[in-house]
Amino acid sequence: MPDASAIVDQLVFGVVYGLLLGCVFALLAHGLNLIWGIAKVVNIAHGEFIMLGAYGAFFLNLSLGFNPLQSAAIDAVIGLAVGLAFYFGVLHRELRGKEAMTPRSEMVTLVATFGLSLLIANAAKIAWTGDLVGIPWSAGSVSLGSLRIPMGGVYVAILSVAIIFLTHVFFTRTHLGLAIRAYSQDIPAAQLQGINPTFVSAFGTSLGFAATMAGGAFLTVMFPTGINPYMGALYAPISYVIVVLGGPGKMWGSLVGGLTLGVILHVGQVFLDSSIAAAIAFLTLIPVLIFRPEGILR
Amino acid sequence: MKFLRFLRLPTISDLGSILKVGPTAWGIAICLGVVAVGARYVSTYPLTILISLLVFAALAYSMNFITGLTGYVSFGHVVFMGLGAYAWGGVVGTFHWSPLGSVVIGGTVGLLFALGLGAVTLRFRGVYFAIASLVTALAAGNIILAIPALGGGQGIVLNLGFEPLSQFYTIWLILAIEVGLTYWVTHGRIGYGLRAIKGDEDAAKTLGIDVTRLKLFVFGLSGLFAGAVGSVNAWTVSGVFPEAAFALLFSLLMLAMVIVGGSGTFSGPLVGAVVVYIPHTYFLTVASGAEFIVIGAMVTFIALVVPEGIVGSIRRYIPILRGILE
Repeated sequence: MPDASAIVDQLVFGVVYGLLLGCVFALLAHGLNLIWGIAKVVNIAHGEFIMLGAYGAFFLNLSLGFNPLQSAAIDAVIGLAVGLAFYFGVLHRELRGKEAMTPRSEMVTLVATFGLSLLIANAAKIAWTGDLVGIPWSAGSVSLGSLRIPMGGVYVAILSVAIIFLTHVFFTRTHLGLAIRAYSQDIPAAQLQGINPTFVSAFGTSLGFAATMAGGAFLTVMFPTGINPYMGALYAPISYVIVVLGGPGKMWGSLVGGLTLGVILHVGQVFLDSSIAAAIAFLTLIPVLIFRPEGILR
Repeated sequence: MKFLRFLRLPTISDLGSILKVGPTAWGIAICLGVVAVGARYVSTYPLTILISLLVFAALAYSMNFITGLTGYVSFGHVVFMGLGAYAWGGVVGTFHWSPLGSVVIGGTVGLLFALGLGAVTLRFRGVYFAIASLVTALAAGNIILAIPALGGGQGIVLNLGFEPLSQFYTIWLILAIEVGLTYWVTHGRIGYGLRAIKGDEDAAKTLGIDVTRLKLFVFGLSGLFAGAVGSVNAWTVSGVFPEAAFALLFSLLMLAMVIVGGSGTFSGPLVGAVVVYIPHTYFLTVASGAEFIVIGAMVTFIALVVPEGIVGSIRRYIPILRGILE
């Protein structure tokens, strides 16, 4: 029988590391959640934009020597532009003049973004080959008893939570933020208040992309050698599960969902096969959809 | 059971109406007949191309049952293929059943899993169904990887020998049954029900349509055929490999074919299968990877600009063809 204290150590490590990873997952899901909550569009190409954020960090490190935290800021700015391009290139045609999301528009945007995800992932594979690459950056680690915590993970976790907090402040304290929330609740009523629907939904989509791509850069800190063109196929489903767990449109929901999923994945790996842990993390979605379709937060 | 009324056996009077099918049905039937006769006279290489084209078409019709007819986007449809392939591989590898007969087992597993899964996930609307189906497929792939009896990451390797003709006639038969069932489903009472669900599910419910059973019925059909095609697909490579059996690319291809051809139409999946198959196979030999760029661009363009797909748009913009093309 293995030493009981070793199991406890592993368990503590699983929880701590799961919480750190969960914060980054929360930021990834937060990007999706903004687009889902504001434009009412589920971006199936979400994972591909995470991948682009990670590659952005990789190339910035390669050419200019930036560390992933600096790259995340630049990624976020690029993300704003990419979000605008995405909104006007893909969504505007379908959302223009709509007062609510119809099932037909829902299907059109699902399928269109799905085509986009195929396109981007495979174009990236041709441009950058399918090899795994990574960023050689480490911020050292601190030891707490037998536990070694990577400082890079702590930094990105704090920054992720800070970004979610700042978005929360933006949405509750500023004029534009309130306008976006009004739009997300009732489009005709928001228009009657003089809110420009195209501007606010394009802006919300841009914000979502900025968070997503910054999250992609943070992810390279958590998985230092995990950048490849198909990484989106793993992180996109994780983000969907997190958003549904927390409830679409609920900002703190993605944080709670992200932490839950990160801990399930890491603690699951302590006791079970890692592929079974991933399966459990994915399948938590089904009972949540059945029993609490509005998310675990009230 | 009340529901079995849909499934009553054909009577003499039905035979008359079967002969009165439209020109599209005759066209597809003649094509299938020509292919079936011609397959005996072509050499092996064209035959393998033909087999993979028919696999594509059969997958497209399978996806059409659920996504085309009801508008429920199933991103995880590959799970039925994968489970069908594993059931087939397990039976052939362990009990040494004939590969041909075991395709039935693959289909049955697909059907049962679709009924079980559908009973839970078909309650979710729109994107929730799409996401639930996606995570189910990912979870199933991960669980299979962890089961040592199924070969884990190695999969099941079989040495069955190369029998293209029997593979061809198996997939031909599957496709023929699918086409027939699609015709029967789209041209009858069930078709009206499904179109009502696609248009507005709540309104359909108030009209007295048994929405749940109807959705489960088409989802079951969809799973049945996806499982059977998954078995045939495993048969053509003589083994089941976890990465390939649960590759999400298959779901994406199925969806692409249905969207490009025209979702919910009778001939659309066949058109979509041909249109997607040509770039898929062409670029696979010329520039591997480029095929999905082309297919992805095609899907995005069609979804945004002409969401009815090729067949649906032709019917919409060229009224003369409406009576001919279905």
